[in-house]
Amino acid sequence: MREFARYMTQRLDNAGLSERDDGPGMVTDSALVMNMHNGDKNAFRQLVERHKRMAFQTALGLVGNRDDAYDISQEAFLRAYRSSGTYKSDQPFLPWFYTIIANLARTWLKKRSVAKSRDVDLDDVEYLMTSDTTPEEEYIRGEEIDLLRKSLLKLPFDDREIITLHHFRNMSYDEIAELLAIPRGTVMSRLYYARKRLARLMGGDHG
Amino acid sequence: MDDRLRQMLAGYVDNELTEQERIEFERELAVNAELQRELKEFNRLKTVTGQMKYADLPDQVWEAYWQSVYRKVERGAGWVLASVGAIVLLVFGVFEAFSKLYADPTAPLWLKTGLTLGAVGLIILLVSLIRERFFAYKRERYTEVEK
Repeated sequence: MREFARYMTQRLDNAGLSERDDGPGMVTDSALVMNMHNGDKNAFRQLVERHKRMAFQTALGLVGNRDDAYDISQEAFLRAYRSSGTYKSDQPFLPWFYTIIANLARTWLKKRSVAKSRDVDLDDVEYLMTSDTTPEEEYIRGEEIDLLRKSLLKLPFDDREIITLHHFRNMSYDEIAELLAIPRGTVMSRLYYARKRLARLMGGDHG
Repeated sequence: MDDRLRQMLAGYVDNELTEQERIEFERELAVNAELQRELKEFNRLKTVTGQMKYADLPDQVWEAYWQSVYRKVERGAGWVLASVGAIVLLVFGVFEAFSKLYADPTAPLWLKTGLTLGAVGLIILLVSLIRERFFAYKRERYTEVEK
């Protein structure tokens, strides 16, 4: 059991999602939220510094636009600050915080769809880029990646959420289950259906 | 294909199955053409998504991130204080103006009556608005933190 806990902490660390209490002088996220609620500005700052990248990148996966993801991540910290009174010290911080990000992203997407009634422009899609590939490979994969970008933005929110967390945040099923407070089996089902829809949007058997 | 098999397919692609589940899945895979087709499709998808990653922001943006968040907190507090101050001054000004108007015997009755009705109407609208916002807040304030 201890091995599992250590493994999970390491995995969450890699994903930038751990409850940090793993060293001398390190305060847990939950303690920081409680201190923040009591007016400790430094606690708020620590929390922001600890999770800013995760907040930004998660929002990016959900809304597909870097400027908006930046604003959403900052707004999420403000909401967390203002809502810290509703936070219970025995609840894990990250699922609570993630829900704030996801709700902000949902609202943003709703407003955007009302305002524009169309999909996000490809010009706005700055969040995905090819990884360490050669220029030749990049060229060959270009069309396929563009198709994936477009298709991801057409997916329903829940599908994009699960794909973002698994594929682009590199979270395991257990981590996603914990974050979204859903059973592991539900994570598997949601991933299955999200991939099916994504494959369909990309034109079925694109291999 | 049943739900369990669908779940196992996702888990197989992501190497998230237990040894026993993997053996069970592979046994089914050997005789199920639909499963083989879907596995191929999912593996292809995983390859494509594996070639992409998030673009990060420049370091200077991250360095200024906290300052930006804190400025928003300060501005939020500033707006609240400024709004409260403005409301206090407005109420005081209106009260003073009305006091003088009602104390003035030369002011016509229609003016006093009109202003009184207008003021009562505005107060009702304001109370109604505050009540609506208050109840909406009570109902929705957890939406940002609860599933």
